[in-house]
Amino acid sequence: MNICFYFQVHQPFRLLDYNFFQIGKDHFYENDALNRQILQKIASNCYLKTNALLLELIKKYPSFNFSFSLSGMVLEQFALYQPEVLHSFQQLAKTGQVEFLGETYYHSLASIYSKDEFEFQVKLHEKAIEKYFSQKPTTFRNTELIFDNVIAKIAEELGYNTILTESVDRILKNRSPHQAYAASNTSHIKVLLRDYHLSDDISFRFSDKSWQDYPITVKKYVAKLKKLNPEAETVNLFMDYENFGEHQPESSGIFAFLKNLVSECIDNQGYTFKSPQQISEMLKPKDEYSVEDYISWADTERDLSAWLSNSMQYEALHKIYALRTDVLKTENEDLIKVWSRLQTSDHYYYMCTKYWADGDVHKYFSPYNSPYDAYIFFMNILSDFELLVKKALKGK
Amino acid sequence: MKEKMKVLTLGWEFPPIINGGLGVASYGLSKAFSKYVDISLILPKGDSNFIVNNIETIGLNNIDIENLKISTTISSYTFISDVDFIDANLLPYQTKDIAILSENYTASSSTLIKERLKKDLSIFDTDDLYDGALGERVQSFAKIATILACQKDFDIIHAHDWMTFMAGMEIKAKTGKPLVLHVHSLEVDRNGPESKGWVYQVEKSAMEYADLIVPVSNYTAGAIKTFYGIAENKIVAIHNGIEQVQAYRSESSLPEKIVLFLGRITGQKGPEYFFETASKVIEFMPNVRFVMAGSGNMMKGIIENSAYKHLGNKFHFTGFLSQERVRYLLSIADVYVMPSVSEPFGLSALEAAQFGVPCVISKQSGAAEVLPSALKADFWDVDKMAGNIISILKYKGLRDQLVKDAYHDLSKISWENTAKELYSVFEERFGTN
Repeated sequence: MNICFYFQVHQPFRLLDYNFFQIGKDHFYENDALNRQILQKIASNCYLKTNALLLELIKKYPSFNFSFSLSGMVLEQFALYQPEVLHSFQQLAKTGQVEFLGETYYHSLASIYSKDEFEFQVKLHEKAIEKYFSQKPTTFRNTELIFDNVIAKIAEELGYNTILTESVDRILKNRSPHQAYAASNTSHIKVLLRDYHLSDDISFRFSDKSWQDYPITVKKYVAKLKKLNPEAETVNLFMDYENFGEHQPESSGIFAFLKNLVSECIDNQGYTFKSPQQISEMLKPKDEYSVEDYISWADTERDLSAWLSNSMQYEALHKIYALRTDVLKTENEDLIKVWSRLQTSDHYYYMCTKYWADGDVHKYFSPYNSPYDAYIFFMNILSDFELLVKKALKGK
Repeated sequence: MKEKMKVLTLGWEFPPIINGGLGVASYGLSKAFSKYVDISLILPKGDSNFIVNNIETIGLNNIDIENLKISTTISSYTFISDVDFIDANLLPYQTKDIAILSENYTASSSTLIKERLKKDLSIFDTDDLYDGALGERVQSFAKIATILACQKDFDIIHAHDWMTFMAGMEIKAKTGKPLVLHVHSLEVDRNGPESKGWVYQVEKSAMEYADLIVPVSNYTAGAIKTFYGIAENKIVAIHNGIEQVQAYRSESSLPEKIVLFLGRITGQKGPEYFFETASKVIEFMPNVRFVMAGSGNMMKGIIENSAYKHLGNKFHFTGFLSQERVRYLLSIADVYVMPSVSEPFGLSALEAAQFGVPCVISKQSGAAEVLPSALKADFWDVDKMAGNIISILKYKGLRDQLVKDAYHDLSKISWENTAKELYSVFEERFGTN
């Protein structure tokens, strides 16, 4: 059996508590101090430590392969705030055992709103990955694993052969997530699906004391792997990289767990760790994964509702994409960059007002007191930005 | 079948006499609570036309003194004669009356006692329970309620706000029954944290003597700990409920947006912050009108300020309004603002939410705890208040969402829930099982 790790690495450029009275006066929108502070904290808790651990495992096990997806936003923050983190990722890239995936540079929701913008951002991200890691991505993962048949088609047109997304029960309908699927609507795209049970055991539930399997040990976890259908070809463990040392603190034993899990699987169980591209090359799709309505890996609904379920989110997203033509018309690179960063999905995630248990996750990640504050600050910023765009167009 | 708990409730305001939140809350809670317990309610003034099912209501204005059995145990009072009053600024009344009040009803002659009682009772013959003689009234209430209580069978004393606390203490001293204080408002809310006068002393000694204190919010629970030094394990906050209303929207005859302030125009309610906020908003959005509905000692100053700043045409004062007029205002308002400096609950914010008006409220309020959908700022943070108002008026997506989410918040709030919670606390602390 194969195990396929993909770790998502992303940090947004969080915005300032920008009040109404700043509109027309202050044109810098990002909370630079907060972004620096958070990045450095996560670098020391997670990125540097986990990279070192993975490098150690790579050196010990030449057959240990896995994958990363780094957003353009986190790459820019490494360069700005702590370049040594970028170097440690580059060291991993040099081993040849790590695959870097393609995504939208701005970690945006462009795939839902604008095909042109989406294609532009995917290509921009490819360039960054080639520049930093000397790889051309061939496996694609859209923001938060958002997926449908149209996105699969566009990814194919852009030259990708594999896409990662969520295993959603309403689409799988009792079929196994442990095999490769063909994306309908495409001629050769293979789809690999996240095993959300086994992935969330390591991420969401790892420190959950009310969970029946707490504390999860390597032994218990391997027992779960062994219980899978013998025909399972691949177990895809997709999760946020920040899980290691940040969401689950070092004291939870998460590092030892990761290290011992890899050792146990390779040394005693005969499992192999492969990258998504290696899995894709190896497996023949047995069936189609056809998705008409968007899916994602977010919240219990696994749809777009984390970013697009209330009128604030609709208005904010609609307004930002409605500006596209005008912003591009300015041909002002600074303005285009500011506008692009405002597309980062996190800004809309903070505006989510869903009340159930998942709401807590939103709160954990949000720098604001409430979704209403998130919206108000964002809209104030957008108002100022609109003035800048108007001014720039007048001057042309 | 298990017998129902018997609760002796001491109230002050009760319909048809409603001055503020206390009357509304006492009524809403008692009505819902009567499903769980048997309630005998003693009030300074009862209205025989106003009967609530399942509640035995005794108004001191209606008691039959001639047939009142006066127990010989009433020989002296533990608390009433002890109290070192008066705060002359707060309750200006003459000292010679107080000398009479301080006397105890001695059991020497039942006729004499009855004469005294009549005299004490006469001060409840008023339309304003809060006028100059408030201190006397509070003490007479304590004396007479104690006499009445000694003839009744009950398990728990439940006293609403400081006016009834002395009665509660006296009854506990006489009967040994547990005393529960329901706190709707504190002297430190009304007059600031420096208030250490007679009312504060009554509150503090009652809290120390009580078995349980039930404030209407965590915010007020915090004040009881901080300003009265009461131990946390004696305090259980239970949020107020709200009556369902037939809310409606009306077409405003004005083209401008309307921002509404509702409540007494006194320091506690932060009217000067409302004024400052309004000035700030008008600077950026001239098409907004601000309405202050209510009256109070700070009204004159605010009117003068608005004239001075040439905002008279944007700033409107309605004076005290009937419930009907208040509801009409809510039905045309675009934003409701409650900038209270210290607000134990803030029922009016919930009423605004019922009428589909987005709320901007101070963090120093109990309402902030039950309305996650209200936009919040510190009462002094005028910029943030103004920014919130402007955002609601300007961004439709926000307005729509706030109104929708407020209905969701309201769906969790009812007197039924409050009564249920109160009952489970009573059971846990004083139940026989």
